[in-house]
Amino acid sequence: MVSGGGGSAVALAPGRLADRNFKYYMIFPAVLVILLIGLFPVIYTLIISFQNLTMMDEDTSFHGLMHYRALFEDARFWESLLHTFIFVAVALPAELLLGLAMAYLFLERLPGRQIFVALLVLPVVTSPIIAGATWRLLFDNQFGPINQILGWFAGEPVPIIWLVDPNFVYPAILIAEIWQWTPFMFLLLLAALSNVDKSQTEAAELDGASFLRTFRLIVLPAIWPVMAIAVLIRALDLFRLFDVVWALTRGGPGTSTETISIYAYVAGFQQFETSYTAAMAFVVIVILAVSITLVLRRLEIDR
Amino acid sequence: MARLSIRGLHKFYGKFEALKGIDLDIAEGEFCVFVGPSGCGKSTLLRTIAGLEDVDDGAIDIDGEVVNTLRPRDRNIAMVFQNYALYPYLTVFENIAFGLRARKTPDTQVRERVGRAAEMLGITALLDRTPRQLSGGQRQRVAIGRAVVRDARLFLFDEPLSNLDAQLRDGMRAEIKRLHQEIGKTTIYVTHDQIEAMTLADRIVLMRDGLIEQQGAPLDLFERPATRFVASFLGSPQMNFMPCRLERRDGAATIVFADGRTLAFGAERSADLSAHEGRDLVIGIRPEHMSRALPDRPPAAGAAPISVLVDLVQPTGTRTYAQFRIGEVEVTVELPAHIVEHPGTTIDLLVDMTRVVLIDPKTDKVLSNGTGETG
Repeated sequence: MVSGGGGSAVALAPGRLADRNFKYYMIFPAVLVILLIGLFPVIYTLIISFQNLTMMDEDTSFHGLMHYRALFEDARFWESLLHTFIFVAVALPAELLLGLAMAYLFLERLPGRQIFVALLVLPVVTSPIIAGATWRLLFDNQFGPINQILGWFAGEPVPIIWLVDPNFVYPAILIAEIWQWTPFMFLLLLAALSNVDKSQTEAAELDGASFLRTFRLIVLPAIWPVMAIAVLIRALDLFRLFDVVWALTRGGPGTSTETISIYAYVAGFQQFETSYTAAMAFVVIVILAVSITLVLRRLEIDR
Repeated sequence: MARLSIRGLHKFYGKFEALKGIDLDIAEGEFCVFVGPSGCGKSTLLRTIAGLEDVDDGAIDIDGEVVNTLRPRDRNIAMVFQNYALYPYLTVFENIAFGLRARKTPDTQVRERVGRAAEMLGITALLDRTPRQLSGGQRQRVAIGRAVVRDARLFLFDEPLSNLDAQLRDGMRAEIKRLHQEIGKTTIYVTHDQIEAMTLADRIVLMRDGLIEQQGAPLDLFERPATRFVASFLGSPQMNFMPCRLERRDGAATIVFADGRTLAFGAERSADLSAHEGRDLVIGIRPEHMSRALPDRPPAAGAAPISVLVDLVQPTGTRTYAQFRIGEVEVTVELPAHIVEHPGTTIDLLVDMTRVVLIDPKTDKVLSNGTGETG
C-alpha cells in the first residue's frame, strides 16, 4: 500500500473485519456436523461407561470406574488385545514388504503392465466379508481347493482343518488378510516409487552403489512420507480387524482368534453389556489416540 | 583415460529406431561433443555408452573391451545429468563421496579426495549443505564434483548447462573446458546448443534422426559442411539459403535469383563450378559473410555487389542484424552497429563469394564449399 491510500484503507477496515469473520460463518455448519458425529459419540461413550446399562437394566446412576476395573481383570479382553497385536505385527510388515516388492516389479514399463496392475488391485475392491466367505470355501477341509492342491504336492490327501486347528487358523486368517490388503500397499508404493527421480537412481548405479545402498540412501527417503502414511492407515485398519476373522472363524475356535473388535461386538450386540462395552471402546480409543499422536509427532520431526 | 570405439550401433524403442547404425571412434583424452536437434538420438547414444540403455545391435568398446553386457557400475564411467540428479537427502559432501563410499574407499582417502574436488570447483564452503539449499550453478558444480572425484575412465555430460541461465552458462562452459584441460580425461558431452558444441569440442559429432550427419573439428564443420543440415545447424544467426540458378555470364560463374538479381563468382571458383552450370541450386550465405560496400574503395577479389532494401533491423549492441528479401526468402545480414538504423533503407552489400556454399536442392548435399577461411 502506498501512503496516499491511507484514507481508503481506513474506509476498508470494517469491511475487512467482516470478511475475516465471514469465513468462520461458512465453516461453522461443517464444524458442527463433525462435532456431532465425532465428538458427541466419544463423550456419550465415556458417560455410558460410568453407568451400568445392559439390555435388562436401564441403570443410569453413576458407577465410577467399576467397568474399567472389571475390564482390567477380564482375561478375554487382554487376550483379544493380544490377538489383535499379533495380526498387526505379522500382517503389517508382510503387506509392506510384499507390496514394496510388487511395486518394484511393476516399476519397469513392461507390456501388459496396466492390465496386471488392475487385476492385482481387485482384492482391495472386494468387500472383506465376501472375500472372507470365499476364503472360507477355499480353506474348506473336505471340498476346498487348497487342501486338494497341497494333496497333489504331498502325493496323499491332506486333511488340514484350517479354520479349527490352532496351528493353522492364524496362518489361514493372515493369508486371507494379506491377500486382500497387500495391493493397497502396492498401489501407494508404486505411485511413490514412480515419483522417485529416475536420474538419481541412475546416477547411483553409475556411482557403483548396490541395490540396497541405493534403496536406503535415495529411494527410501523419497518414498518415506507416502510409506509412513500407508503403514499408518493399514495399522489402524488392522487394529480394528473384524470382517475377515468374523467370516472365517467368528473368533474361534473358542475365543482363540478373537480380536478386540470382535469381542466388543459380541459383548455389545450379542450380550448387550452396553456400559461394559462402552468402557472397552473407550480404552481402545485412548490406546489408538496415544499411539497415533506419537507416530505423527515422530513423522513430523523426520520431515 | 580411455579410447572409445562404437561399431554398427542400433537401438530401438518399440518400433521406433532411435539409433540407426552409429560408427564412432573417440581418441584418448579427446573432448567430443554430440550435438543435434532434440530427438536426434544424441542422449540415447550417451546413455548406451553409460549402460543405462541396452543396445539392440552393435558393439561399444572401451579400451579394447566390449562393454555391451557390462552393468553401468562395472564400466567405470562418470556422468553428469541434465537435472544434476543430486541425492536430495545427503549433504554435498556425501553426494560427492557417494561413489567412493560405494566402492569402499577408506575414510581418510574419501575426505582427501572430496576435499580436493571441492577445492577445484570452489564449493568447499558448501560441503555441509544439502542440495536443496544450493543455487542452480552450485548444484551443477556438485554434480561435476561427484563425477571428477571418482577415477572414472570416461566422463559423460548430458546437457549439463541447459538448466542454467545464460550468464551462468557462459561461466560454467569455460570452467568445464578448463577442467578438461586440467584432468585430460576422455569426455563426451551432449548438447543441442551449437555454441556449446563449437566452443568446447575437440571434435563435434553432429547427429540427425539417429545417424551421424557429419563429424570433425568444430571449424572444419563450420567451414566445410557436408550437407545443408550441417550448414544450417552451426552458426548463429543461421546461414541464409536461397534458391537460385548457376549460369555463365561474361565468362564467370554467376548466381541468378528468380527476381533477376545476380552474384558473380571470382575467377578462381568459377573454374571449379563449371560442372554445375545451368542447374537449379540453393546458395548458402552466412550473415557475417556480407558487408557494406564502400563507394570509394574497389571490392575485394571474389566479392559480388548487391543492392538490398532493409525491412527489419535488430541491434544487439556490437552487431546489428538487418533483414531483407531476395525473392520470397528472408535474408539476414550481420553488420557493425550504426550502419543501418531504420527499416526502409536501401544499402549496397558485398557478398564474399569465396565463402558461399552451393547445395543440391534434391539431395541437400553441399556441392561446393567455400575456399576461404573464416577469419
